[in-house]
Amino acid sequence: MTVIDPTPEEVRKRGGEREVLLDLQNISLAFGGVKAITNISFNIRKGEIRAIIGPNGAGKTSMLNVINGFYQPQEGVITFNGQKRSSMKPHLAVSQGIARTFQNVALFKGMSTLDNIMAGRATRMKRNMFWQMLYWGPAQQEEIEHRKKVEEIIDFLEIQHIRRTPVGTLPYGLQKRVELARALAMEPELLLLDEPMAGMNLEEKEDMSRFILDANDQLGTTIALIEHDMGVVMDLSDRVVVLDYGRKIADGVPEEVQSNQEVIDAYLGLSH
Amino acid sequence: METLYTVFVDPFVQMFEVPDFFLQVLWEGLVSGVLYALIALGFVLIFKSSRIFNFAQGIMVVFAALSLVSLHTFLVPFVGNEFVAAAIAMPLTLGIMYALAMSVERVVLRPLIGQPDIILFMATIGITMFLIGFGEFVFGGENKVMITEALGIPTGAIEFEPFGGFLLLEEKDVFAVVMAIVLVISLLVFLNKSAMGRAIRALGDDHTAALSVGISLSTIWVLVWFIAGVIALATGIVWGARAGVSFALEVIAYKALPVLMLGGLESVSGAIIGGITIGILEKVFEIYWGQPLFGGNTETWFAFIFALIVLLFRPQGLFGEKIIERV
Repeated sequence: MTVIDPTPEEVRKRGGEREVLLDLQNISLAFGGVKAITNISFNIRKGEIRAIIGPNGAGKTSMLNVINGFYQPQEGVITFNGQKRSSMKPHLAVSQGIARTFQNVALFKGMSTLDNIMAGRATRMKRNMFWQMLYWGPAQQEEIEHRKKVEEIIDFLEIQHIRRTPVGTLPYGLQKRVELARALAMEPELLLLDEPMAGMNLEEKEDMSRFILDANDQLGTTIALIEHDMGVVMDLSDRVVVLDYGRKIADGVPEEVQSNQEVIDAYLGLSH
Repeated sequence: METLYTVFVDPFVQMFEVPDFFLQVLWEGLVSGVLYALIALGFVLIFKSSRIFNFAQGIMVVFAALSLVSLHTFLVPFVGNEFVAAAIAMPLTLGIMYALAMSVERVVLRPLIGQPDIILFMATIGITMFLIGFGEFVFGGENKVMITEALGIPTGAIEFEPFGGFLLLEEKDVFAVVMAIVLVISLLVFLNKSAMGRAIRALGDDHTAALSVGISLSTIWVLVWFIAGVIALATGIVWGARAGVSFALEVIAYKALPVLMLGGLESVSGAIIGGITIGILEKVFEIYWGQPLFGGNTETWFAFIFALIVLLFRPQGLFGEKIIERV
């Protein structure tokens, strides 16, 4: 009998002993009387790609909004990087290393690709407001350093040719890529992707998948993504959490989740 | 026939025959145009970054000018020197404008985040009313004189003799124009080149996206209102040097409305070109058409009528982008 060492791929898929980056405990979120999320717990480990799936209205986007501080959950404990979080604002989440993209691209449409990505480094600009206002000396030097980093990301995502184009005029697929670039420019520890491939054709999806895997592999970014394309989810992700009607119905490696009866019911619309 | 002559022929004959006077009129128009542009710029800046039409921009001009003059009057007996007092009063006034920006953000804007635009507009009317009352309470209602000399603004006049005629430029007007140009250029460089400027543009473009890249709403709002306050102070100084400092100054802020209609609410260059266009046109109209036809005083309404006529043909303003909406 020959022993086959697990391939790096397999090790990655197991994801077992890795440190927990983000831990969500018993999160509940309601808008008035409408419960968007009920008592959900799961975690995201360092370096993994974690998919969040579920039918429409399951609370996936709400979950992302909770993670990056757009929404404040009424109940539950969030621990990021070992630190318990009390109240949260989006710009604080960014400074702690959480970046995200949106379901409907949220770019600065009137600004060029370069400016959009540079804006992603807003919180990394260390010089104080006074220097920035003068745009002088140290602030200028800093701008140049940030620009270098941004150029690396532009190369990484192969968008050199649209550097100066106002993003509003770009086709949808490229806009999504610019949005990913802007999020990566934040050099996040945790990257939240809300349907990164919605509305893309097969080729664009393949490109995007490659970029996501590369970001994960080469930059070591932990990724949580919402996606409806099951093929993509199963290929990309290490672990999958399934939500339905604001509750968690399954959590595990793709194969487990795929064969879970409750998940199948939720997707096929069995009565509850 | 006579009327037709007065309207279509005589003005141009005069412009041609007395070119030095025509130049003088153009210059006067340019100076007030530059000031309209400055006020409009304050509006544009705040609108761009927060979608708020800031009704209080006019009273901010008055408030800044009054603070400066009153602080100066207060300080002179202590330091015993006009210039030193002005040198202290200036940063103090900037400090007051910063405090104003902070309190507006904290007390008015922050609690109203996410409310419809009209609510925020109403809130700025509230700020206006408050500043009028508070200003009168603190500074008193009487007219004051701008501390032109203490600030080192030249008060002489430069004379030219173009076309064998006579042209007189008051130095404080030249100062106003130069200062406005410097202010506008530094503002444009700041907005387009610096990281903060990019954050302001980003926030104006897409709120959600700006939040998600870590731009803090509060910081930017304070900054923008502070810059609007600095512009207000600059406007207050130069306008106060021409017309004195009183609450009546607020009225010039309404001149910024037709400027904004022409230039569009979101365009910095639109505000500048719109302001200068209106300033020059209203002066030329007043001298060559207004006085012979209407007996003068057309400057109070010309700009508004002109803006209305422009809007009939270009609803997006002269420089606004054409809005094409998919139905």
